[in-house]
Amino acid sequence: MPNAEPLLQVSDLRVHFPLQAGLLGRNAGAVKAVDGVAFHIDRGETLGLVGESGCGKSTTGLAMLRMSPLTDGRILFDGEDITHPDKPALKRLRRRMQMVYQDPFGALNPRMKVLDIVGEPLRVHRLTQGRAAYREKVMGLLEKVGLKAEMADRYPHEFSGGQRQRIGIARALAADPELIICDEPVSALDVSIQAQVINLLEDLQKELGLTYLFIAHDLAVVRHLCHRIVVMYLGRVVEVADRETLYDNPQHPYTQALLGAIPIANPDPEVQQHFNPSLSGEVPSPIDPPPGCPFHPRCPHATELCRREAPRVLEIEDRHTVACHLHDPDRAQAMAGNL
Amino acid sequence: MNMKADVTRRTLLDVQDLHTVFEKDGNEVHAVNQVSFDVKEGEILAIVGESGSGKSITAMSLLRLIPSPPGRIVGGRVLFNDQDLLDLGDEQIRRLRGRDIAMIFQEPMTSLNPSLRIGRQLAEPLRVHGSVPKEKVRERCLELLRQVRLGDPEKRLDAYPHELSGGMRQRVMIAMGLACLPKLLIADEPTTALDVTVQAQILELLRDLVRQNNSSMMLITHDLGVVARYADRINVMYAGRIVERGTAEEIFHRPKHPYTLGLMESMPRLDQAPGSRLTPVPGQPPDLSDPPPGCPFHPRCRFAEARCRSERPPLEQITENHWKACWVDTDAKR
Repeated sequence: MPNAEPLLQVSDLRVHFPLQAGLLGRNAGAVKAVDGVAFHIDRGETLGLVGESGCGKSTTGLAMLRMSPLTDGRILFDGEDITHPDKPALKRLRRRMQMVYQDPFGALNPRMKVLDIVGEPLRVHRLTQGRAAYREKVMGLLEKVGLKAEMADRYPHEFSGGQRQRIGIARALAADPELIICDEPVSALDVSIQAQVINLLEDLQKELGLTYLFIAHDLAVVRHLCHRIVVMYLGRVVEVADRETLYDNPQHPYTQALLGAIPIANPDPEVQQHFNPSLSGEVPSPIDPPPGCPFHPRCPHATELCRREAPRVLEIEDRHTVACHLHDPDRAQAMAGNL
Repeated sequence: MNMKADVTRRTLLDVQDLHTVFEKDGNEVHAVNQVSFDVKEGEILAIVGESGSGKSITAMSLLRLIPSPPGRIVGGRVLFNDQDLLDLGDEQIRRLRGRDIAMIFQEPMTSLNPSLRIGRQLAEPLRVHGSVPKEKVRERCLELLRQVRLGDPEKRLDAYPHELSGGMRQRVMIAMGLACLPKLLIADEPTTALDVTVQAQILELLRDLVRQNNSSMMLITHDLGVVARYADRINVMYAGRIVERGTAEEIFHRPKHPYTLGLMESMPRLDQAPGSRLTPVPGQPPDLSDPPPGCPFHPRCRFAEARCRSERPPLEQITENHWKACWVDTDAKR
């Protein structure tokens, strides 16, 4: 029977970066990059984490790997509390959890051969014995991601963007991880190359039973790859739902606006009429977020209550949660007068 | 909604056999290779392609903004009002830039001077071209900022670029582009650096203002969604050449060139059911310092025949609103 316990569980995650002012480093508030985020990832699923710049999606991803400092919250990985791991626990964790980065040009050390880039996790975690076995393992990994084994002796500059991203994926696979955090893995690639990498990620998931946290801003790619999606805005989760539900029946005004703002590659009037660029303004600064619901300054439905109080997270149907006063039955009465 | 492309409209810009090369490590890179197209009055013409396709170099060549060295325009004509822009002297082309043809660049962060107030930068095209009397410059600047719907325009005139958000800066860039009511606006990836909700606001605004001023726009982008929404006609570029051209309707509903087909199939689409597997275009774009013989797309083309490997197909008209550069009847082979 498959293990029903989620592979990863995050509750009330907060990552605040303190700001310092002047010569004395006086404390001048904080950037609340992530401000009370909760979600889980089931085994074998691809969870999408979406939102616009500054919403905290990348910081959340880094926090999973314990690469950004936690201000508050709790993270459970395979049942184990990894919120404050000691050194050996952290090392064990980073073997089971790996990352693929956005920039295929910046993520690989230009002075290292592909052999040693891809093999790094093998060395760090002492996973192979002897040079021959090491080399053989790396060559196998290269073939697994669609590269040629003999490419092991080349340097990153000899590869195109798509090939470099494959190298990054091979490195992430080296230590046989269970969870891979993909931070915008295809957004730097051209469309025709993007599809190659998307297909590769799908194939690897099927073959190796991987779980992905897929961080991206491209909602068409997210819809293609992800089973479930978390929408973030200004450091908070605003909506979580299965793919079909989120795209066909979005409930948070921000999710609705985000989906309406994507131009669709079809000039037909019937398709174009769904385009709705009504959302005005821009994302406020996370240094000085608005009080109440972070989305209220841009929300067409905002009321007095939204300006005053942050909404709670509500399960409005099975596997569908929304943080919006509009959907809060207890608030309905208070809102009725304002609407 | 897209205005239907109207082929009877007057031609504003006529580009013939434009050829721009770059010197790279002793090699000649043909970044734009024998490119011909025209822009009609009042239309939005898209040039779409991936990185290295030559779309931005094409735009910069039109206004002679190619850094030289290493770049050089080695051939072709760029006819604007029956005048070849490639023949103009430096002073003449400078006077034309911003006044008759304006350009909006890709990076709103770096295209504004960080040490000058917004008002001063916005006033520059007005001063240079003397299109507004001195005492009216401030008034015109405020009017422009209102037109691009930048809130609090009085205050913004005195702001420095770093005090504005990315979307606000791009609005300022648009205001600068439109300041002298140019006949042609060239927008090179005008929203690529912006978030999707801001992109939508900016593109709608840009389209409305271009229509309002009776201008034409050349929209340069890699985003097929943006193209489908805003373009009347589309040129698809690959490896420095136009490989397909047509109305938006033709290109999206009846694509003929294998590269255009490949782009459509490799893209996850929100207007189609999810779950079906993507069909990527195999391989990589060619190295333009050593392009393949024949059709530049043949090494990645699933339809390629012997002829494609030796002879380069010319861009030929196939129906009233549709051109392609391909030897193969892709409809028959699909």
